[in-house]
Amino acid sequence: MIFLYFDAGTGAMIVQGLVAAAAGIILFSKGIMYKVKSFLGLMKEEEDTYDSIDVEEKDNGANDKGK
Amino acid sequence: MTRESNFAHQASFRDPSGYMFYDGAILRRAINPIYFPQYTKLKETGFFATLIDKGLLISHEETSVSKEQIILTPEKIPFITNPYEWSFEQFKHAALHTLKLQKYALSQGFILKDASAYNITFHKGRPVFIDTLSFDFYEENTPWRAYKQFITHFFGPLVLAKYHGTDIFKMMQTHIDGIPVKLIASMLPKKTKLSSTLFTNIHLLAKMESKHKEDYKAETKIANLSRKAQNNILDNLFNYIKNLKLNEATEWGDYYTKTNYEAAAFDAKKELIKDWTTALNPQKLIDVGGNDGTFARTVLDKVPHVLVTDIDSNSVDHNYRQLQKNKETNMLPFVCDVLQPAPGVGFNNTERASLIERLKEYAPDVTLALALIHHITLSGNVPFEKSAEFFATFSKHLIIEFPKRDDSWAESLLVRKREFINHFDFYNETNFEAGFKQYFTLEKKETVAGTKRVLYLFKTKGYGG
Repeated sequence: MIFLYFDAGTGAMIVQGLVAAAAGIILFSKGIMYKVKSFLGLMKEEEDTYDSIDVEEKDNGANDKGK
Repeated sequence: MTRESNFAHQASFRDPSGYMFYDGAILRRAINPIYFPQYTKLKETGFFATLIDKGLLISHEETSVSKEQIILTPEKIPFITNPYEWSFEQFKHAALHTLKLQKYALSQGFILKDASAYNITFHKGRPVFIDTLSFDFYEENTPWRAYKQFITHFFGPLVLAKYHGTDIFKMMQTHIDGIPVKLIASMLPKKTKLSSTLFTNIHLLAKMESKHKEDYKAETKIANLSRKAQNNILDNLFNYIKNLKLNEATEWGDYYTKTNYEAAAFDAKKELIKDWTTALNPQKLIDVGGNDGTFARTVLDKVPHVLVTDIDSNSVDHNYRQLQKNKETNMLPFVCDVLQPAPGVGFNNTERASLIERLKEYAPDVTLALALIHHITLSGNVPFEKSAEFFATFSKHLIIEFPKRDDSWAESLLVRKREFINHFDFYNETNFEAGFKQYFTLEKKETVAGTKRVLYLFKTKGYGG
């Protein structure tokens, strides 16, 4: 049971399916671009100091970065 | 500071899972039985331990456990900054941090049940999540309930800042639960509809929200969303935010190449500040109008905790990048306009404390105000005794620099007064001292060699020692 104490918004709950679909397409095409760019050696160094979205764990998932 | 014991924290009442309270001077967290199942699971699976170990979540100790209540004592954070006081990069990192936590939570069978920007603050040089009770169980195939909150608290303000500048973050003062989606959508240029990320996450969301706003009985069936699909949303938002840049992107124009004095004078000023500060052996220091932290850095190795604030979001950004690069953990930069410090906002006007209240509680041993008083006095038209009153409310010692009338910068501010220039005849050392002596005693005074500036060390009246 989730005790939610603020309104999540019905529209916001429904729209996530579409948001996810668009995100899936973007991520897929970015993945391809990434492979092409790294093959051609066109990768830029990142400026941002924040690391990745994934929490690296010692025991599991170390090789599964999800990307 | 006197405070009743067992006094509930003013910002902690929205979540029925528990609340923060002051036990004497110590801030603790009480957990209500309604949240026991979640807490137990989060603790037993090692979820908390991992996040704390990675520095993603503020650490805590379990102080007591009973049938009615569990009490935690979280690590103390010396000073809380709020979203409307963050620079662009800080705001970005807070957003990325929230997504990172949600993605990890999801992988472990939990969710972030809210995505409030107030759940993040900056501590030891990086963002940290401070609301330990924000995690809940994940129900398979449910959408992220805090998604809209993430958009109104983080994504919307960031995208708006890209087009309108970081002043947009001040809107968080008037919208305590984030900028409404409809307002975000209306403020974005039409071309943003062509971006599939912005179209879906903002424009489409705004449309869907207004379409379903009359769903009073929550009758509409909630759509399913697979875990994989939710991860796609999180990954895409993460990538998008990470690459966000301000359109106004003013290159960091090194302020100190524009000083009106020689390098030797610059070093002399640094030495003087270092000597005076070190002699006072402060534990906490604030540099008001501290730019990118150049002067605060001269004493950083001697003072355990340092705040640096500036009106220029760009300088704060530069400072933040520098401290991340240097791995400095005892400096906290934030944005503040001295002429209009952050007010108390939210319910009762006390949910988020005003800057003055937070500074009073922080109680810095030394306040630095370098190259600032001519701006307050001549740009802000604030009389000297009013400025003195401001500094005296939170300072013990004040090191303040006074540029004389013939200093080129003070001169240029005076010239801009045009026909009203004689209204500012009061701007001189004598009046400055008289104004400040109403609240302070003068300890030291020295002209910075090679400049037309005088450095003063004042002690607030009424402070012993």
